[in-house]
Amino acid sequence: MPSGNQRGTAAQKNGLGGGRPGEGAGITNLLFVIPALTLYAIFVLLPLASSLYYALTDWDGIGSPRWVGLANFSRAFSDDIHLASYVHVTLYIIGTLIFEVSFGLIMAVLLNSDRPGFALLRGLFFSPVVLSMSAAGVLWTFVFDYRTGLINGMLKGMGLSDWAQPWLSQPATALLCVMLVSGWKFAGFYMILFFAALRRIPRSLYEAATLEGAGPIRQFFSITLPLLKQNVLICGLLAVTGGFAGFDLFFTMTNGQPYNSTEVPVTWIVKMGFDSDQLGYGIALTVILTVVVSLVSLLYLRFAERSHAVEY
Amino acid sequence: MRSSIDTPRAPREWLQFGIGAAVVAGMCFPAIWMSYSALKTNREIFRKPYALPETWQWENLSKAWQDGGLGGLYLNSIIVTAAAVTLCAFAATLAAYAFARLEFPGRRALYRVFLIGLLLPPPAVAIALFTQLRDMGLLNTLWALIFANAAWTLSITLYLMTGYFRTVKREMEEAARLEGANTFQVFWSVVLPMVKPAVITTAILNTINIWNELMFALLFISDDASRTLPAGIVRFSGFHSTNYALVFAALTLTTVPIMTFYFVSQRHVIRGLTAARAE
Repeated sequence: MPSGNQRGTAAQKNGLGGGRPGEGAGITNLLFVIPALTLYAIFVLLPLASSLYYALTDWDGIGSPRWVGLANFSRAFSDDIHLASYVHVTLYIIGTLIFEVSFGLIMAVLLNSDRPGFALLRGLFFSPVVLSMSAAGVLWTFVFDYRTGLINGMLKGMGLSDWAQPWLSQPATALLCVMLVSGWKFAGFYMILFFAALRRIPRSLYEAATLEGAGPIRQFFSITLPLLKQNVLICGLLAVTGGFAGFDLFFTMTNGQPYNSTEVPVTWIVKMGFDSDQLGYGIALTVILTVVVSLVSLLYLRFAERSHAVEY
Repeated sequence: MRSSIDTPRAPREWLQFGIGAAVVAGMCFPAIWMSYSALKTNREIFRKPYALPETWQWENLSKAWQDGGLGGLYLNSIIVTAAAVTLCAFAATLAAYAFARLEFPGRRALYRVFLIGLLLPPPAVAIALFTQLRDMGLLNTLWALIFANAAWTLSITLYLMTGYFRTVKREMEEAARLEGANTFQVFWSVVLPMVKPAVITTAILNTINIWNELMFALLFISDDASRTLPAGIVRFSGFHSTNYALVFAALTLTTVPIMTFYFVSQRHVIRGLTAARAE
């Protein structure tokens, strides 16, 4: 960046030729940023700022907002369902680290080959990423269906009718099911990221390891994993920040049910803000979510910075 | 690399392919099941969930298309996606050029402000944005989705485009400037053709994301007339939750086009994703 900076100024002086380089030109250049800045300011920054104000009111969305100070926040910290939603989303994030990131990594290694057919497998494995979350959610709701779903149908076919479960309507399995579908949907995404990184590892490393008699599993742990450390950290960050914002699958598959056992922050925010017209409270919950996501990602980046001293 | 393709496969490689193919087949099966179940009667789906249709009920598709109003949903999704992707590409390319090449007051600080959007999840503003759009009179119009989606894909697009600009050589621009072209002329006739690949890649990425966007669509639109596909599908399956064949038919009709789009533009999608997260 610093070098680009200097060159930029130099190029500009050249270009302006006879004109006066300096403030005037700088302002004209600002014009290029105006469309993006306008869009971003109105639809990202402004609502973010107004959230901070509305979070301190008991606004119902229609009347004029009444100042209540920190009441919404103290309510949020004694709202059991709200607190539980952070437990659920933490479990969900752990699930995504297993079913999305780790599974994606394993598949990237497994499908890393130049042989014919592997490119097709990678393309197919990635394809659920492109599907809309709502279509995926509806589809899997039917797969998990108690009476006609594929899972219970398969269990019956294998003579294990006793194992058939109302997967999405009992607290013990509902969250796990959402995690599995999330894995189905996004493992391909992480697979592609890891695959691109695997391609950059010099082949000679593996050849040398094979000559020394290291098997594929040994090679994975002593060559692949250490060299992909940076990618693993980035994918972890994506999974964690993305997980906190999880909404679509939860909304289409369970919408917090049964008994709020799959309630996550965003589904609860939507319920509070829109279904019960407590916009002030709902907005306070979005502020908490923003703070939590920012804090977690900053801590994560700090941790990642400190530990990625691995070079090759 | 070449030699490994020419030599016959070792048993271990066959095993690798076999396991990979089995996992992929297992993952694809629900979607395949959905597609052929869409052509069965409800009784068949209930009695023999795995079997192929006894008689292929093609009329399920046309019934789902009409009952679900899929034509209207498609049209709205196409308008929202096309407009938002274009708006975002336009704003982000101009801004990326300025951030990567030009000097102006507050350049670094502004770029940081744009990067905040990379970490923020859209739900962070969902409710406040809802009330704001209502006050602007945009609720229940496609504009609400166009602006919200364009603004929320801006950060990542700007970030990718700025990164791409830094890899493009400056010689051509400098030559054009020496010939007396002003900043806008340089941008339009020299820079834009050079960064076209990045514009296309980010546009395809944004197309998929905006096409599938659900939360804004649920919150900002309550009129049937301006609903988009993802929200429409959720609503439709809620109404017809016992009519399996109809829901499957509607799902099939909405997923096949996006899958086709993906397989056609696969190269761009994957290149975009790897570029997006490589930093």
